[in-house]
Amino acid sequence: MDADLVPAASAETTPPRRPPSGAWRQSWHRFRRNRAGMIGLFLVVLVVLTAIIGPFAAPYDPNDNSAMLRGAANAAPSARNWLGTDRNGYDVLSRAIYGAPTALAVGLGAMLIASLIGVLVGGVAGYIGGFTDEALMRGAEFFMIVPVFVVILAVVRLFGIIVVGTALERIPNLNLMTIILLLGLFSWPQIARMTRAEFLRLRHAEFVEAARCIGTTRREILFRHILPNALPPLIVLVALGIGGAILAEAMVSFLGFGDPKSISWGQMLFFNYQALKVAPWACLVPGAAIFITVLGFNLLADGLTDAFNPRLRA
Amino acid sequence: MTPLLEVRGLRKHYRVAKRGMIERGQSGVVRAVDDVSFVLQAGQTLGLVGESGCGKTTTARSILDLVPADAGEILLDGRDVRPILAGTDRTAMLAVRRRMQYVFQDPYLSLNPRWTINEALREPLRVHAPQHQRDWDGRIAALLETVGLEPRNGVRYPHEFSGGQRQRVGIARALAVEPDVVLLDEPVSSLDISVRSQILNLLAALQDQLGVAYVYISHDLSSVRFISTHVAVMYLGRIVEIGAVDEIFARPRHHYTAALISAIPVPSPGAVDRRVHLRGEVPSAMNRPTGCPFHPRCAAALPICREQDPALQPMGPKTQAACHNPA
Amino acid sequence: MAGQLAPLLAVEGLKVHFHTRDGVVRAVDGVDFQVAPGQTLGIVGESGSGKTVSSLALLRLAPPPARIVAGRVLFEGEDLLRQSDKRLAQIRGRRMAMIFQNPATSLNPILSIGQQLTEILRWHTGVSRQAALDRAAELLALVGISDPAARLRQYPHELSGGMKQRVGIARALLCEPALLLADEPTTALDVTIQAQILDLLAELRQRLAMSMVLVTHDMGVVARMADRITVMYAGRVCETADAATIFNAPQHPYTRALLQSMPRIDHSYSGARRVLPSIAGRPPDLLHAPPGCRFHDRCPEAAPECRRVMPREHLLAPGHSVSCLRRGSPGEDAP
Repeated sequence: MDADLVPAASAETTPPRRPPSGAWRQSWHRFRRNRAGMIGLFLVVLVVLTAIIGPFAAPYDPNDNSAMLRGAANAAPSARNWLGTDRNGYDVLSRAIYGAPTALAVGLGAMLIASLIGVLVGGVAGYIGGFTDEALMRGAEFFMIVPVFVVILAVVRLFGIIVVGTALERIPNLNLMTIILLLGLFSWPQIARMTRAEFLRLRHAEFVEAARCIGTTRREILFRHILPNALPPLIVLVALGIGGAILAEAMVSFLGFGDPKSISWGQMLFFNYQALKVAPWACLVPGAAIFITVLGFNLLADGLTDAFNPRLRA
Repeated sequence: MTPLLEVRGLRKHYRVAKRGMIERGQSGVVRAVDDVSFVLQAGQTLGLVGESGCGKTTTARSILDLVPADAGEILLDGRDVRPILAGTDRTAMLAVRRRMQYVFQDPYLSLNPRWTINEALREPLRVHAPQHQRDWDGRIAALLETVGLEPRNGVRYPHEFSGGQRQRVGIARALAVEPDVVLLDEPVSSLDISVRSQILNLLAALQDQLGVAYVYISHDLSSVRFISTHVAVMYLGRIVEIGAVDEIFARPRHHYTAALISAIPVPSPGAVDRRVHLRGEVPSAMNRPTGCPFHPRCAAALPICREQDPALQPMGPKTQAACHNPA
Repeated sequence: MAGQLAPLLAVEGLKVHFHTRDGVVRAVDGVDFQVAPGQTLGIVGESGSGKTVSSLALLRLAPPPARIVAGRVLFEGEDLLRQSDKRLAQIRGRRMAMIFQNPATSLNPILSIGQQLTEILRWHTGVSRQAALDRAAELLALVGISDPAARLRQYPHELSGGMKQRVGIARALLCEPALLLADEPTTALDVTIQAQILDLLAELRQRLAMSMVLVTHDMGVVARMADRITVMYAGRVCETADAATIFNAPQHPYTRALLQSMPRIDHSYSGARRVLPSIAGRPPDLLHAPPGCRFHDRCPEAAPECRRVMPREHLLAPGHSVSCLRRGSPGEDAP
């Protein structure tokens, strides 16, 4: 019998002081006390709100380059353009706002693809084991070995060339969607490994054995016992992955392989970095936006990690 | 009279291939459960004792097919149910599982942390009595009361309860389907000592009330003495002695049994030291000694013990032991 | 107190509190005990009683969020709680040594046995490496390990649980300490190995004239090993007496109830109705400790005042002290 160094607070079972709290609500309570996590949550909510409401509240149309015609391109922040204008005369603030939904689309889209594939592959590998497991994991490793970034650049460029002149060209944001798809396709191995590890662990958990003793069907065990308990670390990975995907898209765009027709922060950097000395705000603003967003998701992931794995701290 | 439960020749061997720098290229067989047999009647308790690695937990798990056995028969009312448990006929399998249930050692890990107690108790009912859905809530409340918990706390989650209370939930869950046999794996070892007696009393009372048979696995011989009618002592996968509880404790015939009993410090200072001193440690399950597996540590070993593996033989009206030179 | 000798170790009013996010847990809340030279004190209690934290606090080994907030630990004339870290490092391992519950985790897995043992010797006594190795081999032989020279080159994972614990004991004895602290030294071991280790400890303390503090939840172990026993519950001491008195004539209701509730290996239960006299309820939540006696809600003899007033330890008979209002203890002025 291990003697706990810190005696756990045992619960009252006569008159309940507070309503019964499941594991999720308990995690939420723990999350609330984590300052880093709450800051992250705040930042993420900020970005999400910007993405949803922003386009209705933006002062200018992001594609309005009338300022150029007035000779007010690269103008410093003023009452007219709160964050200035950029090289093409676009209002920086408006473009930055419109960059938010793009960033979220990238992050969420990529992680959605990655999760679907990852959970499926990892779950099957972890639960069935044996040769299936080996085969699937070697497949995952292949996707991990490949130099992701270079491949994305190459495929995007290639795809862009192939598509010219065909019907596909007219699909809006095709380039962006390609990027999202590729990011998702290269992010699933991490999720698969985590899922597999969790399934392996939970497969032998005592409450799963108890369910087998009772005679519960395999499917019920999988969906009602194993999956809900495997979710917490996956949620953390997804949060981190969203930040990572946003950053990756920004890098791709900054290098000029992005979608010129989409409005993204990386694109803004690409367009304006040459004018850095003349109009620094045109780069600082999207740069700051990227920073805040990725920081937000990372802090959120940190907070979630602590919330799901309570450790005792003074 | 056909026994309620009879286990015959249960066997589970693990093949181990050992590679690596420490034990180069050895491979071997771990005989986790090696030809285990016993008989249990309704209302009786068989205490299965032994130290770590003796195979008692694997035995219990094999009986319920949580670990598939390699060979042997598991007879419920005379009918071999091992192929049914491992088979594909779900209806037949459920009928068998209904009659044998398991209580796990760790009350913290044996309940799904994301389910309420009610949901945990509902699961066996859902699986075995789907047509009586209307009666489930009543049955759950009755179960909680039987194990000494208040039904209204069923909406709570496991982490809100203490270890002793969680163990009561585990017992309630095992009883939900009204089994004939319950296998309990160290049910009180993880509990505070001032709480153990409560659970032991509960188990004894339930047995008296419901006539259920127990297989009680433990390394704590004093609780085994309290709850068991019969005791089987295991060593390296074998039963080395089996018999009525008072006989075994008062007059152990196998030297390992004697050593085990005498090793337990009795809470009476100045008690006469009747220690049987054992040499050495339990050998690795892979390097099983020839002949009697216990002979290297046995002070009463004879030359024959090194060569011939003794079989279980009657040592009296109520006990059997596997020993060439019994005490 | 045994004899007229001054105690080797005297703990007075020890209080160790844990400052957690949920509040203050008063894990050890005013605990006294003594160990005379050459004597073995058994500290017995269940989990949450504070016994382990108390033993760790003696050498200031309890990690944060534990904080020693009050008390004195007088050892060989010094109050250990007032000494500098440097002084304490000189005492630990040399004058007072500890063996831990889990032999697997108390040995460094990446160092060989020889490395771990010689490191300690050389730190405390500055001898040469060869001399240290010789001494280490000597001690391994002392604790009953065969082929000591070969063992020194092995790593912890190559040894069984019982052997690892023997190494742990050897490690503690390297510098011939005056006092050995053993925290549940056999709980993680099999029963027959446990018996071997207890035999070893009994023999060693005899041979080396060593004092010992043995912390455990197992009443059988203290019956076997201890000269005097201190019973702890929920951070307080209930009763202290010599072993025979504790078992034959316990006075504190908790001690009595505990002894009665334990199934006995030397007692038959094949009768009509098997019932152990059990203790109702469970150990209290130390986060919200009741103001009065910590045992009052489970005590068969509790009186209304027991809920409000914390009993102070008082001497019932020579060498036998009890903290119970119903046995005549005065109340404490402040809890």
